[in-house]
Amino acid sequence: MEMIKPGTYIDFMAHKTKIIGMSLTLASLSLASLFFPGPNYGIDFAGGTELQLHFGGDIGAGEVRQQLETLGYRRPDVVEVQGRQNEYIVRVREVSAIPDDQAAQIRTAIESALPAGNTLTRFKLSPGGDKLTVETSATWSVDAYKSALESAGLEVRTANALSPGENHPYEAHLIGVADELVRGLDAALGERGPQTPRSVEWVGPKAGQQLRDAAIKALLYAIAFIMVYVAFRFDLRFAPGGIVALIHDVLITLGIYVLVQKEVNLTTVAALLTILGYSINDTIVVYDRIRENMSRLRDKPLSELINISTSQMLSRTIITSGTTLLSVMAFFIWGTPVIKDISFALFCGILIGTYSSIYIAAPITEWMDTRFFNKAARA
Amino acid sequence: MDRAWYFRFSVFLGAIVLGWLALWPSIDRVEGRPGWLAAPDIVKEYFPGRISPGLDIKGGLRLMYEVDTDRYITTQRDRAAHRLLRLLGVELGVLTEEEADAPPAAKLTALRERITVEKVGEQAIRITFANAEDAAKLTRTFLRRNFPNFNRQTTSGAPNRYRLYIPEERVLEMQGKAVEQAVRTVGNRIDNLGLREASVVGQDTDIIVEVPGADPAQFDRIRSIISRTAQLEFRVLDDAQDYVATVTDLPEGITKQAETVSAGTSNPSVTTHYLVARGAGALTRLSDYIGTLSPPDDRTLLIGSLQEGRQVGAAHADQAYRTYFTLATTEVTGRHIEDAAVSFDQQQGGRPVVSVRFKSDGAELFRQMTGANVKKRMAIVLDDRVESAPVIQTEIGGGRAQITLGSYSDYNQLMQEANDLVIVLKAGALDAPLSPANEQMIGPTLGADSVQQGANGALVGVLLVLIFMAIYYQVAGVVADLMVILNLLFLLAIMAVFEATLTLPGIAAIALTVGMAVDANVLITERIREELRLGKSPRSAIDQGFGRAFSSVFDSQLTTFIAGVVLAQYGTGPIKGFAVMLMIGIVTSLFTGVFCSKVVLDWVVRGLRVERLRVG
Repeated sequence: MEMIKPGTYIDFMAHKTKIIGMSLTLASLSLASLFFPGPNYGIDFAGGTELQLHFGGDIGAGEVRQQLETLGYRRPDVVEVQGRQNEYIVRVREVSAIPDDQAAQIRTAIESALPAGNTLTRFKLSPGGDKLTVETSATWSVDAYKSALESAGLEVRTANALSPGENHPYEAHLIGVADELVRGLDAALGERGPQTPRSVEWVGPKAGQQLRDAAIKALLYAIAFIMVYVAFRFDLRFAPGGIVALIHDVLITLGIYVLVQKEVNLTTVAALLTILGYSINDTIVVYDRIRENMSRLRDKPLSELINISTSQMLSRTIITSGTTLLSVMAFFIWGTPVIKDISFALFCGILIGTYSSIYIAAPITEWMDTRFFNKAARA
Repeated sequence: MDRAWYFRFSVFLGAIVLGWLALWPSIDRVEGRPGWLAAPDIVKEYFPGRISPGLDIKGGLRLMYEVDTDRYITTQRDRAAHRLLRLLGVELGVLTEEEADAPPAAKLTALRERITVEKVGEQAIRITFANAEDAAKLTRTFLRRNFPNFNRQTTSGAPNRYRLYIPEERVLEMQGKAVEQAVRTVGNRIDNLGLREASVVGQDTDIIVEVPGADPAQFDRIRSIISRTAQLEFRVLDDAQDYVATVTDLPEGITKQAETVSAGTSNPSVTTHYLVARGAGALTRLSDYIGTLSPPDDRTLLIGSLQEGRQVGAAHADQAYRTYFTLATTEVTGRHIEDAAVSFDQQQGGRPVVSVRFKSDGAELFRQMTGANVKKRMAIVLDDRVESAPVIQTEIGGGRAQITLGSYSDYNQLMQEANDLVIVLKAGALDAPLSPANEQMIGPTLGADSVQQGANGALVGVLLVLIFMAIYYQVAGVVADLMVILNLLFLLAIMAVFEATLTLPGIAAIALTVGMAVDANVLITERIREELRLGKSPRSAIDQGFGRAFSSVFDSQLTTFIAGVVLAQYGTGPIKGFAVMLMIGIVTSLFTGVFCSKVVLDWVVRGLRVERLRVG
């Protein structure tokens, strides 16, 4: 079987201006999309609300997730608690954050409700807006605390005094995202629905600033080392093209991801890293053939060499990308939303990574060649 | 077939056998198939490593810790008080800027006569100046620049006295910082432990740590490493003042003993006393009793385990504790440490010790402290427990020190303790102590259904590729398929040997290397086709094909490998996991793609002597 007849010559570079123009547009759109609408960060990056729920009847993690998605929660984490039947830890991205001005009103309400001589010494609203802890200089009553909060327009689920100490702390759990979620599940599942949550807490991001910084640093170093290696094994003309192609691939994939507002989380990072690996691999293979032809066909201009090399490689390029896309498609067909998201990213990345080797990496190499190396010959 | 081929063939066969043996114990444990392909005990004995599924795939232990944020604030206050005196010393012209970090003792005493810094309650500092002129130096600008967390308050009736306190909104901010610091430190510790796939998340004033696996022994170690505050201090002992001798009316179970020690160059041999408690509950008994004592100012009694001349390896290390009488404050702590490593002390029969290297300011402080206390004992205190108390023989410059750990009966235990200490010292101390709140075993964080469907998808995907390759490239395709399968075998076998954790990012890396392995085979086969078209014999087409495709296979994989090395070096958590898998995968796919497939194809053309090689 032969997909491409041997000796086929396609003038790839004839269309390069149009295609590079398209790539530039896509890349700038992607860059712009990072600011507007901006990445849709998942719980891994943004944090969210975490509940531990005990369900009234038999239910699997998949069904819980499905119900939550029907209720409009996007990409909830559902983790079973082992050793306890039908108990799950559920994480959703929604938080019932209370804006600063409302928090100030609540504070004033509490201060005015306190009897004379008793002052508020600490006022702490949890970042998820689901818990309010206050400390007072003297003993106060839980009921007075609760009614002060209700007068400020809050819905209080429970209020209690914490272990008495010199600080007189009082804690109130507020009705928020969690209760809405539980109500929704109860309505959908009836008797099998969860009872009152065992715990509701705001959770911080799994991948905070530290991971983001480390990732960026790692990427920059990786790019630098790859450049050095390519410059050493090939020559200086090849290095920038490979790097631009790599950034191009990762940027556009991320851009598409952001434009369709898919959630960016730790698995997305894994997918982007995979695309990065694929992109380098593919570019170097194309480079290798150009390098080989450069020494065999010395009299031809580089743009023709690129055409010859790409044509010779076309069969390989189609088969390699094709088989990889094939296996990625399998994940897309059999997969839960999380898996579908990764395969979607990989699918885009592989397509872009394949064409960028031909239309980004090679033309930049040609440009480097005419601009910096063959200037005298052309003039 | 020549001898060289037989040699390559035996390497190929040997690799397959070894790979299978290494992987066997992991397959043995695949759930739902009890007894299916059970590995014999002898295999398990020689290849104990197994692949452990990660948190996202299999679940693990979820630990919740409460962060003692109040203690964090107190610690910050203590540090501020310490710095306050020194910075004011610079403002007053007593100290130069360079001396502020490590002031000479004489100047410090002079400074203390002009300024008194006291800690009040948990969060405040009281500062009293000897005269109004000095007091005027404590301006709001000075505070804002150096101690932004503190507000200044004048004290009525005492004109030269100020109270520095942390306002409420700052307290909240600092609590957030405490949790952040705990998340970061615990994350680093777990990373250093080699468990790169654990997750650490902050939650209000708690942190949640999720660790993959199901091995109770490993969980114990993780618990001890997480919750350890790892506050290391070097404190000078005051043996010249025999405080314990003045303690009378000892309760039952606590005795007094005497020892003759060196207490400075002018006191080479003094007799001093210490308290001892033995047997069950000795530690609590001793620390409870010490709590009732009131040692003189700036001195304190610390507890360490009693060694009594025992050697490592001797039995019964348990339950004997003694006291040490030390200075209450110290200049040199774990915060001054740059790096730590396990080494072996030849003078103590190769006993594992921890050597530490100080940062430059710590090195200077340590030199001063040891120089001023030659021939006195110095206690190495870890989390309020004295690990050892060697005599300072001479001033120690160069910024290095060695920590001999207290008594452990068994060499392995001592070794592990030294390793754990290195981990916590490198990751840094926790500024706020952690206390365990609750723990649960959890299922896969990705959801059991995702894992199942993902596995199906992977299987179908790989099968589709294998079928396509066999149809399109025929004989060469079947060989390529064999290589993809062998690549997976070797990759998983190496993972098992290193006891690597398999997570979703790891699987993405595996998928990438499978893709790259296919690519290598495609490149080679396409080259062979080209050579065949030129009319070459199958045998020389294969030789030429491999030879020409080698550079592209090698360069493309090596470039990706470089990316892997860098990501593993600088990345954390999932990035590191991905990178390690990628590197392993590249090594195995080069081995299968370039070496193994040549062995098989050579056999096809030479051993079977095919006239026409069917490569599609």
